[in-house]
Amino acid sequence: MWYKYVLIVAIFYLLEILQNSFFAHFNLWGAVPNLVFIFFILLVFFSVQGRPSFGLEIIFYGLSAGFFLDIFSSAFIGVSIILLIVIGLLIKRFQMLLVENRGQFSFFQFLLVFVIAFLVYNFLLGFYFYFTQLGTTFWRLDLKLAGEIVYNLIFAAIFFFTYKKLTEGRLDNRQLSLFRKK
Amino acid sequence: MNSVRNLSLNKKNSTLLKVFLGAIVLFLFLGALNIFRPQIRNYFYLASNPIESKLWTAGESVSNFASSVLRSGSLASENESLKSENQKLLSNITLLQSRQAEILSQQEAVLTYQDSGFQLLMAAMMGLDGADLISIDKGSEDGVKEGMSVVNQQNVLFGKVFKVYKNFSQVMLISNKDSVINVKILQPPLPNGPEKEVYGVVKGNGGLDAHLDFVPIDDTINNGDVMLSSALEGSFPKDLLIGSITEVIKNDQSPHQQAKIKLFLNLNSTNLFVVTNYKLTDN
Repeated sequence: MWYKYVLIVAIFYLLEILQNSFFAHFNLWGAVPNLVFIFFILLVFFSVQGRPSFGLEIIFYGLSAGFFLDIFSSAFIGVSIILLIVIGLLIKRFQMLLVENRGQFSFFQFLLVFVIAFLVYNFLLGFYFYFTQLGTTFWRLDLKLAGEIVYNLIFAAIFFFTYKKLTEGRLDNRQLSLFRKK
Repeated sequence: MNSVRNLSLNKKNSTLLKVFLGAIVLFLFLGALNIFRPQIRNYFYLASNPIESKLWTAGESVSNFASSVLRSGSLASENESLKSENQKLLSNITLLQSRQAEILSQQEAVLTYQDSGFQLLMAAMMGLDGADLISIDKGSEDGVKEGMSVVNQQNVLFGKVFKVYKNFSQVMLISNKDSVINVKILQPPLPNGPEKEVYGVVKGNGGLDAHLDFVPIDDTINNGDVMLSSALEGSFPKDLLIGSITEVIKNDQSPHQQAKIKLFLNLNSTNLFVVTNYKLTDN
């Protein structure tokens, strides 16, 4: 199973390069889709609770996604790593509290989780930049932000359905095993 | 009952201890990574450069193609607006001809800039970070230093070098929220009377956008006026193109007027130039 993690790291790296170079030309009011963040949320959202390595898995996702986000930004290495690990663990907690029927991965639930996580991540990152190096106004709830969210949501939706399609059989098996455990 | 409670407390304590130890290990690991941050960043940029520059060019081509397809629908209306603009321009020609002397003096100023002995180092754009930072493929090995100005071949100011690594650098665009530049607003010469110079400050808004501020309320600025760097703050050479005014905003309660602007910087300019010998200020 180790190759799965190597593949995930490689995908994070490729997505970071893509969003940094190719998608820079498709910016909407300067906003570029944060593909690494979208893929991270997707992995966390679809990760199945109850396995012993479940927490470590989320930490691994946060570590690898955050690492590439930090490398290609001006922030200290670790800012995005910590934020993503915390957000990842909180998402799982949030899912556990909200969802009665665990193991069902509804699209609208994903969108809700994604928007909240995106806002929290950007708010905290803005907070960091405000106190360290860049930015005089760290966060603004305006049309630009709304546009950025919608733009990212489009990519998140594409990722969601692609991921679900690719892992359909495996997800069903996991859900079944989860119900059997109950 | 007590033993069950103790067991549960012990389990809780052991989980807390694990989390605490895990956090310490993580922070130590991140601390160690940050010691070698410049080297790690440089390595990743160097390793990613070949694929990143290819993707950058591909993105540029696809974006140009897509925008030409999207614009084809609005060609008719664009044609109409061009016709009316053409008429306006024709009427302006008379005024412009009579002011040839002033224009020649402006050209002289541009030539002065070109002849001022600035050394330019060509660099290719590699990527855009969300915080209005771009990366270029030249670093300390090529003589790039923090604070150096970055322009394109049309003398459009992009920003200044923010962070230098061995083989690449990060450039803070003038649209960055932390960017403030003193600018001179080009005024059409008055028919009678001395030419008046209007100054203001361009502040970055983030998202490749900026606005003009601190223009005295009594000065007249109009849509379409072009802004140049004034070099008052000493960070940038003077007379570099910044952008044009799109909407003037006046508020009677404020001693200054503001304006929405359109920056001339364009991410499709693949090649940039770093001005390597302009005086550098402490940043």
